[in-house]
Amino acid sequence: MLKIVLETVGLTKRFGNVTPLDGIDMQVREGEWVAIMGPSGSGKTTMLNILSCLDTLSEGQYILDGIDTSKVSEKERVVVRREKIGLVFQQFHLVPYLTALENVMLAQYYHGMIDRDDAIEVLNRVGLSHRYDHLPSQLSGGEQQRVCIARALINQPAIILADEPTGNLDEANEQIILDFFKELHAEGRTIVLVTHNPELAEFADRTVRLHHGKVVQHAA
Amino acid sequence: MAANSTSPSQTGMFLRILFKSLKVRRNRVAITFCSVAIGASIITALACVYFDISAKMSRELRTYGANFFIGPKAAAGERSMGAQAGQAALKMIPPDKLIGASPYLYGLVRLDLGNAVMAGVDFPGLRRLSPYWQVEGEWVSVSFDEDSCMVGKHLAKTMELKIGYSVNVMHAENGFQRRLTVKGIAETGQAEDDQIFVNLSLAGKVLGVPGEVNHIMASVVTQGTDIDTLSTQLEREFPNLDAKPIRKVSYSDGKILDRIKGLMAIVAVIILSVTTLCVMTTLIAVVSERTREIGLMKAIGADDRGVVLQFLCEIMIIGVAGVVAGLGMGFILAQVLGQAVFGSAITFRPVVLPVALIPSLLASLAAAALPVRMALGIVPARVLKDE
Repeated sequence: MLKIVLETVGLTKRFGNVTPLDGIDMQVREGEWVAIMGPSGSGKTTMLNILSCLDTLSEGQYILDGIDTSKVSEKERVVVRREKIGLVFQQFHLVPYLTALENVMLAQYYHGMIDRDDAIEVLNRVGLSHRYDHLPSQLSGGEQQRVCIARALINQPAIILADEPTGNLDEANEQIILDFFKELHAEGRTIVLVTHNPELAEFADRTVRLHHGKVVQHAA
Repeated sequence: MAANSTSPSQTGMFLRILFKSLKVRRNRVAITFCSVAIGASIITALACVYFDISAKMSRELRTYGANFFIGPKAAAGERSMGAQAGQAALKMIPPDKLIGASPYLYGLVRLDLGNAVMAGVDFPGLRRLSPYWQVEGEWVSVSFDEDSCMVGKHLAKTMELKIGYSVNVMHAENGFQRRLTVKGIAETGQAEDDQIFVNLSLAGKVLGVPGEVNHIMASVVTQGTDIDTLSTQLEREFPNLDAKPIRKVSYSDGKILDRIKGLMAIVAVIILSVTTLCVMTTLIAVVSERTREIGLMKAIGADDRGVVLQFLCEIMIIGVAGVVAGLGMGFILAQVLGQAVFGSAITFRPVVLPVALIPSLLASLAAAALPVRMALGIVPARVLKDE
């Protein structure tokens, strides 16, 4: 049995009287690819924010790679985020004045171990060997998303959390990114992906459907 | 692709982020730099003038007459003293501090149309001592001229004297008399307007007390308590003499200087406040522009310390550069002020460096406080979701 990388127990988030997440129980094992789906307002984004340690939960537990993040301080949560999680955003979110290579090295910098060769290798892997000294403004959307994926991979995180990674891409680039995720999955990477896109979700091992902040379906 | 395998160090990467961040925002950086530089230059100029103003203003204020008195010991009941003793006391005043001095010997004399008070003086010294006198005609130019005199304006009117007229001066008791030519008519607005002035040697002969003076008045450049030290020093050296600052004048000098210095301090504080506000406004705009970037940095692992460090280093680089430029500009501005106000250069004093540097840098740091707080308050989950 593979080890559990991510586990939530009764995960609840409240904003005043609103409860966007209500008692979520979920497990993700090592090497598993899980897609979280649901209509707008179902709590997908809140869920991803908590899973990526960008937000805190109100009740319950969230254990990531053996660390109960619901019990750690804000400072420790930054360390968990830095060392355990690789984030891929829908909007790419690259630092505009740093080159592709520097954007990848930025994650290494915060991790405390800068290795230019490693950063170049990851960029080569995502097919940007010829573009690493370009600024984000000089890259296409697909290329920017590949830089974002390279940045997420560079510190060998325990889990990759992706928020609509193909949401801003054309079909051709969507396919390239999808192929990367398949490749990463084949390598044994653990992936949690939030998406509206059923085509993207169908490649996942499992789909978790949310509705009004509750899990309504765990489907293989 | 062949890769250069040289990895930057943590510090190298930090500096790379820092300078690229500054470079990409060069307009904001330029505004902040200019604000700091202008603020620092005005503070520097004011500080230069502030520390030089005592010397400069003291010399300026000496155009308003004597501020030091040397006379016979009042307690001993003497009304006059030897001119030589007075001259010896004067010699103890450093020449660069002594603007002018004149002995005075007073006596009642009879002129053609009536009696008047005659003052025996040293005309060249009196002229330096009292540059504010309004003189019609001309000053008696040398101290050995015993044929000329100057007359106060009111006395000239009463005695119907004009420039070039001659007047007979006679002492009623000893009968000594001398016919003198009026070379100048002086208007002072004070008691001198009713007096006739002759050289001291002649006054001694007329009054029958050659070599005697009633007192000496001097104009001495002083700063702070210098004048009291001089007084003590002279009285210790010449126990038979009184050597006193004229409190009314020296106190006024001090008051004027204190007020000017106070005004300059207020202006400096206002300039610093305006600079701080200007820098703060620019930095707040910078933080607003960089909200998403800061959110991203936090999301991928930057902690609060990292965010604060980057912001403070950015502002310190701009601040130090601005202050250094401001110091140079400020010294030039001080020279312009010195020439415009005092007609002379302002001396640079090392004390100006910390006085201008520290408040300017502190103002820059204070200006960064609120923007840094804003940056720390950025919630990545919120800003990264904004479309």
